Amino acid sequence: MELTEYISSVFGDFINPKKRIFLGYLLLSLLIALLWLVTVKRTNLTNALARIFDRKILFSSSSKADYKLFVFNQLITLLISPMLITQLTIGTAIYFFLHKQSLIAPSEFSSLSTSMIIGLFSVSMFVIDDFTKYLVHRWMHHWPVLWAIHKVHHSAETLTPITVYRVHPLEGVLYALRSAVAQGVAISIFVFAFGNAVDLYTILGVNVLVFVFHVTGSNLRHSHIEIRYWPWLERFLISPAQHQLHHSIAEKHYDKNFGAALAIWDWMFGSLHLSEKDEQLSFGVIGEEDAASSIGALYWRPFRDIWRLFSRRAQQAKDLVGRAVGAKL
Amino acid sequence: MLKLMTIVASLAMAAPAAMADGHAQTYGPFPITLQGYEGDKTDSTGYTGQIARHVLHDSLKKLAGQGDGGSNAEELEAQMLAYFSGSDEDLPIIAPATKGDFVVAQTMVGEISGGKNIEGKFYNGLMPAWPGAMSGVDVALNMISNAAASNAGFSPETGYDWGQLISKFTMGAMAYNQAVDNYLDEKLGADNKPNNAPYSDGAHYTGKEHSWDEAFGYFGAAAHTLALSADDAYAINKLSDFAVADANGDGAVDLRTEMVFGPAYYAASFDRAGTQSTDYLQTIMQAYIDGRNVITDANGEALTDDQRAQLVSLASTIEDNWEQVLAEAVFKYAGSVYKDINALAEAGDDNAEAYRTYAKHWGELKGFSMALQSGRNNLGETAVTMNDLILFGPPTLDNSYVTGFDSDGNFEMDRRITWNDYQLQLLQLQQLMVDKFGVQSRVNDQLADLEGLAESLGSASTAETD
Repeated sequence: MELTEYISSVFGDFINPKKRIFLGYLLLSLLIALLWLVTVKRTNLTNALARIFDRKILFSSSSKADYKLFVFNQLITLLISPMLITQLTIGTAIYFFLHKQSLIAPSEFSSLSTSMIIGLFSVSMFVIDDFTKYLVHRWMHHWPVLWAIHKVHHSAETLTPITVYRVHPLEGVLYALRSAVAQGVAISIFVFAFGNAVDLYTILGVNVLVFVFHVTGSNLRHSHIEIRYWPWLERFLISPAQHQLHHSIAEKHYDKNFGAALAIWDWMFGSLHLSEKDEQLSFGVIGEEDAASSIGALYWRPFRDIWRLFSRRAQQAKDLVGRAVGAKL
Repeated sequence: MLKLMTIVASLAMAAPAAMADGHAQTYGPFPITLQGYEGDKTDSTGYTGQIARHVLHDSLKKLAGQGDGGSNAEELEAQMLAYFSGSDEDLPIIAPATKGDFVVAQTMVGEISGGKNIEGKFYNGLMPAWPGAMSGVDVALNMISNAAASNAGFSPETGYDWGQLISKFTMGAMAYNQAVDNYLDEKLGADNKPNNAPYSDGAHYTGKEHSWDEAFGYFGAAAHTLALSADDAYAINKLSDFAVADANGDGAVDLRTEMVFGPAYYAASFDRAGTQSTDYLQTIMQAYIDGRNVITDANGEALTDDQRAQLVSLASTIEDNWEQVLAEAVFKYAGSVYKDINALAEAGDDNAEAYRTYAKHWGELKGFSMALQSGRNNLGETAVTMNDLILFGPPTLDNSYVTGFDSDGNFEMDRRITWNDYQLQLLQLQQLMVDKFGVQSRVNDQLADLEGLAESLGSASTAETD
């Protein structure tokens, strides 16, 4: 790979509107933060800018680790992604399988208006994607093996938009598979039922709903700008402050607000926590402070923790068998 | 008029460049190279027998649609057999014939070449794609007999469209088979039709010259194809662009050199449609011209091993691309039939027209699948899978389909398949064409919508999390 190609693939996300850190979205997030600080928090412009570009946060050792991880992970992804199953492979298999059922015929609902079909698909795709993100995120916190991996993300002690890339490569693989399954299911069912009219309403090539999520400050969820929504709205949409609360080390905030864009999943499954006014949050994982800025630890520790988990379980199983055999004798 | 001037101008400009390396860029005329020839001929090119067979085929297809439901069956079958098996009398050209401004020079087959037939040059191995385990010729004869007894070439009870079946099968069983399994195969051998002897006693061309010419004739391309776009070639076959067809500007299209027949037409049709990423027509045409130049350059001497190796390589290019064109056709019509089934469901009770269209496309699908298995290679398991997926006959309106012949020779239809199941088989068939033949043009790709959506959604391969 040529050097320029290599660099453009690493930093390509900044100019890709499908990615959260697209420069346009970052700029809009900055404007929203400024507007919020000046109008709601009554901060003057100079102080507002100083707060947004706080060097202690942007250049903290934790944030610097994020930046390094961003570069390394992009390269690791380049190597791994060709090996992963794609949404097209999954979608094709499901599409073939759908022909084996006789409840609905191919293109049975193709007589619906095209705008209706496109609208339905755009909304469904967004909802399915968001729900599966919620589900996988919840599992990441509940299952010890997955938590060992996801802990990398939560070890961040300061949050910046780049923290979205503070991910262990194994989690990257799981999220890519989640995306492939979600998209494969949606496109196959829709094309089967609605025929060739299925499409997305897009802006800059992005599902219009995803676009709205990004232009309304999706980057601020990983930041120190604690924008809150009205309580009623926080039951439907996750505010930046709600996600920051998800990163809090306070015990009362554990396992809350798993949602990506929509809060309804947390509301439905009992994990919703509304934001709290003027609460000072600390981020990170208790007992893992040394991993916050160590690249080696961030990559290696999940393997070590998973190995310890399995060893402990194996020992427990051995003890159990030993006791059972001893009792019989 | 403007188009005519453009063509004349472009040909005039192309001519010096085309001859720059001393080689013609049209298929013929080629000089006489036969050693010791003392006659007055100046052009060694000769493939009129193949053009006559294309004309017999096109005419046969027209005749297949002229049955009136039984009363003219005997007479029509005899007429069709005259074109298929041969006739002592010269036969009128039924197609291609003058249409409006598109003037065709010949009106009788004998003006092209006399005494030719299709049957003698027809694939005669086992054809398992058709019920009855018959040879290729017997399948064609069975189809002709059924066509003559049908109403306008269609049997609604079985769903067979006889004109399409006969035509598409013949394009493979005659043209493709003769080219790749005869002229581009054993006739390239050192001792078979050598280049240092006339093709036959008294001929003015060598053995290799004429063998290669005959292989070219079966492809059915106009001699000036290198100067044509895929759209041009398509339009000539459709008799809709006289100016492009009449290369020498003599006011009539000479079927012997200026017409585009079935195999070349389908190569062009896939180049201009689908993904538009293929160049079947020009690749095959260039290989034919390059091969003929190799032979001409040998100047009547026996070909060296190196020269024959060049011909074998070019023959392989022709065969591979031609086979792929047939696979593209199977792919395309599998997609057409898939869509036609959706249209049938939408049509409800008023489905006669939709059923006719479906049957037409199924006939093309079946015919091309039989053409594909009429080549030099035994397709083995691929052919078995392809035949299993397509079935002997199309699922008809009550979901029954032809499964074989009864003891009286009538079609038996004792099995049924649901529309969904059959559509799944058509998808699998498209997949088979991609996996086994690497089809590129992919017209009517039924998975294209999935691919398009998957692409527009993009992959989530970047590691991100909340």
